Amino acid sequence: MKDNKFWLATALGAQLAFTSLAADNTDTNRDADIEALKQQINALSQKVETLENQRALDQQASTNTASGQIQELDQKVRILSRERELDQEAAAGAAKTQPKLAVGANGFIASSADSNFVFSLNGLIQVDSRTFFDDSAIKSNDGLLLRRMRPIFQGTLWRDFDFKFMPDFAPSTPTLFDAYGNYRYEPWLQLRAGKFKTPEGLEQLQDDVNIQFNERSLVTDLVPNRDVGLQLWGDIDGGVMSYAAGIFNGVGDARNSSNAAYENGVEFAGRLFTQPFKSSSLAALQGAGFGVAGTSQNGTSSATDLPNTTGGTLAGYTTDGQQQFFAYNPASGNTIVAAGQHWRLSPQASYYYGPASLFGEYAISDQDVRNSNTGVEADLHNTAWEITGGWMLTGENASFAGVTPLHPFNPQTGEWGAFQVVARYAALEVDPHAFPAFANPATSASEARAWSAGLNWYLNKNIRLDASFSHTTFTGGGGTGTIVPEIVTRQPENVFFTRIQLAF
Amino acid sequence: MFSSRASNWHFDQSKPEDKKPVKNFLKFLVPLAVALAVSVDAKEIKLLNVSYDPTRELYAEYNTAFAKYWKAKTGDDVTVSQSHGGSGKQAQSVIAGLAADVVTLALSYDIDAISQQAKLLPADWQNRLPDNSTPYTSTIVFLVRKGNPKLIKNWDDLVKQNISVVVPNPKTSGGARWAYLGAYAYALETCGHDDAKAKNFITKLYKNVPILDSGARGSTITFAQRGIGDVLLAWENEAHLALKEFGADNFEIVTPPLSILAEPPVAVVDKNAKRHGTTEIAMAYLNYLYSDEGQEIAAKNFYRPRNEAIAAKYAANFTRLKLVTVDQEFGGWAKAQQTHFTDGGVFDQVYQPN
Repeated sequence: MKDNKFWLATALGAQLAFTSLAADNTDTNRDADIEALKQQINALSQKVETLENQRALDQQASTNTASGQIQELDQKVRILSRERELDQEAAAGAAKTQPKLAVGANGFIASSADSNFVFSLNGLIQVDSRTFFDDSAIKSNDGLLLRRMRPIFQGTLWRDFDFKFMPDFAPSTPTLFDAYGNYRYEPWLQLRAGKFKTPEGLEQLQDDVNIQFNERSLVTDLVPNRDVGLQLWGDIDGGVMSYAAGIFNGVGDARNSSNAAYENGVEFAGRLFTQPFKSSSLAALQGAGFGVAGTSQNGTSSATDLPNTTGGTLAGYTTDGQQQFFAYNPASGNTIVAAGQHWRLSPQASYYYGPASLFGEYAISDQDVRNSNTGVEADLHNTAWEITGGWMLTGENASFAGVTPLHPFNPQTGEWGAFQVVARYAALEVDPHAFPAFANPATSASEARAWSAGLNWYLNKNIRLDASFSHTTFTGGGGTGTIVPEIVTRQPENVFFTRIQLAF
Repeated sequence: MFSSRASNWHFDQSKPEDKKPVKNFLKFLVPLAVALAVSVDAKEIKLLNVSYDPTRELYAEYNTAFAKYWKAKTGDDVTVSQSHGGSGKQAQSVIAGLAADVVTLALSYDIDAISQQAKLLPADWQNRLPDNSTPYTSTIVFLVRKGNPKLIKNWDDLVKQNISVVVPNPKTSGGARWAYLGAYAYALETCGHDDAKAKNFITKLYKNVPILDSGARGSTITFAQRGIGDVLLAWENEAHLALKEFGADNFEIVTPPLSILAEPPVAVVDKNAKRHGTTEIAMAYLNYLYSDEGQEIAAKNFYRPRNEAIAAKYAANFTRLKLVTVDQEFGGWAKAQQTHFTDGGVFDQVYQPN
C-alpha cells in the first residue's frame, strides 16, 4: 500500500513540475493550475485511503468468517466425538444386560446379566485300576473300573436359591448322589433340603474330586455318606466358623441313602468347625482348623441298614481296596438288626500351610444291635481314626478345596504341572462285644490297620493322575472259606492303585 | 454381626423314645449356640443408598458423619454404599431388584414409580418425613464459559440463534426434567400462561441442544471437559461443583431471575430394609438429614437447607431468585410427567435430534 502512495505522489509531482514549466509566464493560470492539481491530489489520496480501508475491512470480515467456521467445525467434531463416547457407554451398559456364557476350567456356565440366574454344567470322571498282591484266593478284584462318572448340574435361581443335581453312572445301576435345593439368606444362614452329605466325617465332606487317595480311609467306614434331610448351615465371617445342624432319615455307617426313610426315628446331625486364624495376619495359622461333628438316632431297622452283612451289595466296613473285612455275620447265620440308639461323634482337625497339608479325624459309631433270632442285644462301640499328610513337591499351596498347578502341563514349554506326595495311616476297631453273637470272629476282623503312600500328578486344574500303594493288616478273621470277609482277612491286603481323573 | 436363630430351634420331644437322641443332639447344638451368641454383640451394618447423579459429594461427606453419629449412639459400625446415576434409571434399577435400603432421588415421581410398580414402599411414603420428605431443595442455574461471551442472562437467551445448550435427557435424568420444567415455567410466566407459546419456546430451546446425556454428571462432562456448548443447564450444586472441580477461571454461574424449586425427596425402601433388618437404621439415616449437622452438610454442598437458621448462615452460597413449584405451574409431578415426559408427551413432540 505504501508503494502505491509513493508512485502516485511521484507521478503527480512530475505532472505538477511539467505544468509549472510550461506556464511560467502566466501567474494566474499557474496558481489556478496548482490549485486544481492539489484538488486532484487530494481526491486521489482520498480514493486511495478509501480503497485501503475497504480492503482492511474485507480482510477482517474474511478472517471472522473463517474463525466462525473453524469454531463451528470444532463444535461439530466435539459433538460427534462425545456422541461416539455416549454410544460406547450405552453399548457397554447394554452389554451388561445381556446373558453371559463362559466355557473354561470351571465348566460350562451360563448366567443372566445380573447373575441372579446361573446354570453350570460340570463333570467328574474317574477311571481306576486296582492291583492286589498275594491274594490268590480272591479272583475278581484286580482290574480296571469306572469309579465315578458324574455329570453335575448346579446353579442359582432368583439370586438366593441354589440347586445341585448329581447322578453317578459308574455303578451298574445309576445312582442319585446329590439332589438338593439351598436357600442362601446370607452366607452365614442357609437352609438346604434334599439329598446331600450328612455333616459328619471330615474326609467324607471333602469333595470327591479333591480326596488325596483313590479311596477314603477306614474312618469313613463309620460315618454316613449322603442322606435325605433338612439342614440349617452357614459359614460365618468367611469361614472362620462353620456350622451345620440338620434332621435326616438316617443311614447306616458308610451308607448312601436309598432316598427313602427306613424307620420312624429321625437322625439329628450337627457339626461345628472353626478356622480361628483364617482372617488373621498369622500366615502359618490361617489354614489351621478343628471341629467336632455328631449324629444321633433312635430306632430299629432291618439288617440291610447295618454297615453290612455277608452277601450285602453295598460297601460297609471295607478296606482301602474296597473289600469287606467286617460283617454282621454270626456263625449261626442269624440276622442282626439295629435295635435302638445309634450315635456317632467325630472330632476332626486340618492344617494347611503352603505346600503342606495335614488332617486327621477320630470317629465313634455307637450302635445298639440285636440278634433277631436269639433276641440278644448289645451296645457296640466301634472306633476309627486316621491321619493324612501331604506335600506339594512343586511348591503350590495345598488346600482342602484342591490344588491349582502353578505351571500347567505343557511339555513344549517344559512345564509339567504339579506333583504331590501323600501318606496316610488309619485304623478301625470293632467292639469286642460284637463277637461272636453279632459277628463271626473266624471270618470278620475285629481290627484293621492301614498305611498308604502315593504320588499325585496334577497336570492342570482339570486333569489329575494318581498312583498309590496301600497295606492293610487285620486282627481276627481269616477262616478257611471262599467268601468275604474271610478271604479278605486271611492275609494282609496289598493293593496298588492308579487313577485318571477328569473334572471340569 | 448377626443373631442366632438356630438356638431357637425346638425339636419334637413328645415321644419318650426320642428323648435320648434329642439329649445327645443338644450336646452338639449347645456349643453351636454358644459360638453364635458370641457374635451377637459385634454389629456391622451395611446400607445401600441409591441416589441420583450429582449427590456423590454430598453423601460421601454425609455418610461419614452419620456413621460417626451412629457409632457414638449405638456402638454399631455402619457402612453406607452409594449408587449413582440418572434418577429415572436408578428408580428402574430398584424396581428391577437393586436392593436399596434407602433411595434419595431427584424427584418424587421416581420414588412413586418404585412404590407403584414394585410395591416396595407404601404410596404415602412422602408423608413419613418432614417437608414432604425433602430435607433440602435446589434449583436449576446456568453454567457459562468465563466472561459469559454469549451474554446469557435469562431463559430467553437460550433460544437465540447460535446458542448451544447442554442439558441431559429428561427421559432418564431428574435434573433434566427440572430444567425442562424451569424453562417451561419461565415461558408460561412471560407469555401470559399461553401454553402454545410456551411449547413454541421450549421447541426453540431444544433445537439449540446438540446432545443429550443420560444424567447430570454426564452433561457436566460434556460441557466442562469436552468443551461443547455455550451454556449448561445444571443443578445449582452441580454448577458450584463444576466451578470447584474445573476452575472458576474457566466458568461462571448465571442465576436466572426465575427458576424452578427442585425438591429431591428421600425414602426408606421398606421391603428391602425389612429383609435386610435395617429398617430402624435406614429411617435414622434419613432423619439425620434434618439434623443440624445434616443440614449443614447439605448447605456446604450447595443444597438449600430446610433449616432456616442454617440457610441464613449459608445465605451467601445461594442467589435469591423467584422460585416456582411444580405444583403451582404444572399441577403436580404426576400430571407433569404424564403431559411432558411420557412417550408421545410434549418433550417427544418438541425434541428432534440434530
